[in-house]
Order: sequence, then structure tokens, then C-alpha cells
Amino acid sequence: MASDCIATSTGPRPKDALAAYLSDLAAQLHGPRRRREAIFTELRDGLEQATEDRIATGLAPDQAAAAAISQFGSPGAVADAFAGELTTAYARRTIAWFIATGPLVGIWWLLLLHPGPWRTGLIALVAAIPVIPLIIAAIATAGGTLATTGRLIRWLPETGPRRALAATIAIAMLCMIIDLTMITMVMASGVPTGPLMMIAVAASLIRIVCSITSVRHANLMRVDDPD
Amino acid sequence: MRPELLKGHLDALLLAVLEPGPQHGYAVIESLRSGSGGALDLPTGTVYPALHRLERAGLIASDWQTVGGRRRRAYHLTPAGQIALSEQRALWDKFSTAVTALLKRRTWPATA
Repeated sequence: MASDCIATSTGPRPKDALAAYLSDLAAQLHGPRRRREAIFTELRDGLEQATEDRIATGLAPDQAAAAAISQFGSPGAVADAFAGELTTAYARRTIAWFIATGPLVGIWWLLLLHPGPWRTGLIALVAAIPVIPLIIAAIATAGGTLATTGRLIRWLPETGPRRALAATIAIAMLCMIIDLTMITMVMASGVPTGPLMMIAVAASLIRIVCSITSVRHANLMRVDDPD
Repeated sequence: MRPELLKGHLDALLLAVLEPGPQHGYAVIESLRSGSGGALDLPTGTVYPALHRLERAGLIASDWQTVGGRRRRAYHLTPAGQIALSEQRALWDKFSTAVTALLKRRTWPATA
């Protein structure tokens, strides 16, 4: 077996060198856990293959491991090279979460504050739920960012990692403003406390916490992003 | 050859390397090197993220396999990638013909 070949024929030194390199690399990759794990597994396979190829050409195992590590570059350089893809993956995942959970929060507010049946149309809806323009802005930003960081980049100009992260922060901030506005509005309006109101407020409070967490993570990734 | 010289052409090169069949990331690096007679010895930090970006664009796809007890990610062209490669080839033919015509050593006609 390939990995056994490294373990048995080369002794502990090259294996330790590869393990130390990979451990250093793993510590420097930042982003969604599954993506980091996939990148790590892929690079480990490549590094082990590169070592085996050099052993096959007659190099001593420790020299083969050193040469493979040298070819791959320093862990910091490799991690930096992946920073853009990991940042984009984080932005896409977070934005998709906001899109998926938006209706789960919004439905309760709509049920609580929907205009009377005799008042129809967008104006009546905006009068009842004044944050609708902000919701539209958040959806447009989310849709645009997802479109220009995914498959549509074949036709549309690609949004870079830094902009995708800025869009993620903007969407999280908009959600916070929307939720705080709705909670403040319903508290000030004197709407009688009922199960529907409790659920709507709880859903918004949960999303506020998630939004704050997203902004914190995004700011940490922005520091790491070399672009 | 410096990686920055490849700017704008790396995607096409990666698609071309994957055209004959699926390959894992390190094999792609080796194919680029051997296929170019050693001229394109690209670093890991250039090739792997570029493969991930091509996958995000839907031009290639990947499958995880277990080879010799190791988990290995193999990339292959998608139908969209095949179309993109054909387009890139046509563009390159046009571009290289024009650049070769201009860079060829010859006597330029004197202007008045």
C-alpha cells in the first residue's frame, strides 16, 4: 500500500517530517471546517504521492520527503494560496444560510403584522412591515454575491473573496437592523403579548446572535485574507 | 517559467490536462510539467486553488476515491468544461498566430 510504503520503508523520520508539515499547514488553514478538511486530505495525498515518486526514483526516504515538502512550498504560502477559495466558500455558505433561514424568521412577523384583508398591495405591506426595503436590499445583495461566486462566473464578472466577505458582513448587518427594528417596533406598538409575538421575537433574537457571530467570523477571515 | 506569465491561460491548461481523463491534483502538476517539457513547473499553491475555482465554476467536477488506503480527489471535465476548452483552444490559436506573426524576426517595411 502506498501509505504503508512510506511508513515501513522510510522509518519514522520522513513520516515525522510530513506529519509536522501537514500539522503546520492545518493550523494555518482558516475557513469552513469541511472545506478545510477536504483541502487537507487532498494535499496530504499529493504530498505522500510526491514523496513516493521520489523514493521510486532512488532518493533516500528522508531526502524524498524533504524534496516533496520543498516542491509544495512553505505551509504558510500554501495556506495563503487557499485563503481566497476558503473565504469565498465561507461567504457562500453564510449567505446561503441567511437566504434559507430568512423565511423562517419572516413568516412569524408576517403572520403577526400583516395588513388587514381590506388593505392590499405593496404600500400596505410596507406600512405594516417597514423593513421590507431592507429585506429586498439583503436579498439582492445575497443573490448577486451567490451568482457571481458560483457557476455563473463563466458568464458574469467574478466577485473576489474580499468583496464576497464584505457582502456577507453587509447582509448580516442588514439582518441585525431588520430584527432590531421589528422587535423595537412591536414592543413600542403595544401589540398584546401572545405566542405568535413570542415566536417572532425569539426567531429574530436567535438570528441576531447568528448575525453577530457571522460578522465576527467574517472580520477574522478578512484579516487572514491576503488579497 | 514564472506563474504570472500564465495569467489568463492557466484555466485552459488545466482543462487541457484533464481532457484525456480524470486526474488528482498532484498528477495534474506532474502532467503540466511533463507535457511542457519541464517549462511549466507550477507550485502547489497555484494549481490546487485553480482547480477548486474551476470546480466552483462548474467546468470540472471531482470524486473522492480510496487508492492504496488513501483518500484521493480526482478531477474530471464536465460537459461545460469541454465546451470551454474548445473555446479557449480557438482563442489561443487566433492569439498565438497573431503574436507569432508580430514577434517573428523579419525586416519591417520602412514608413515614409
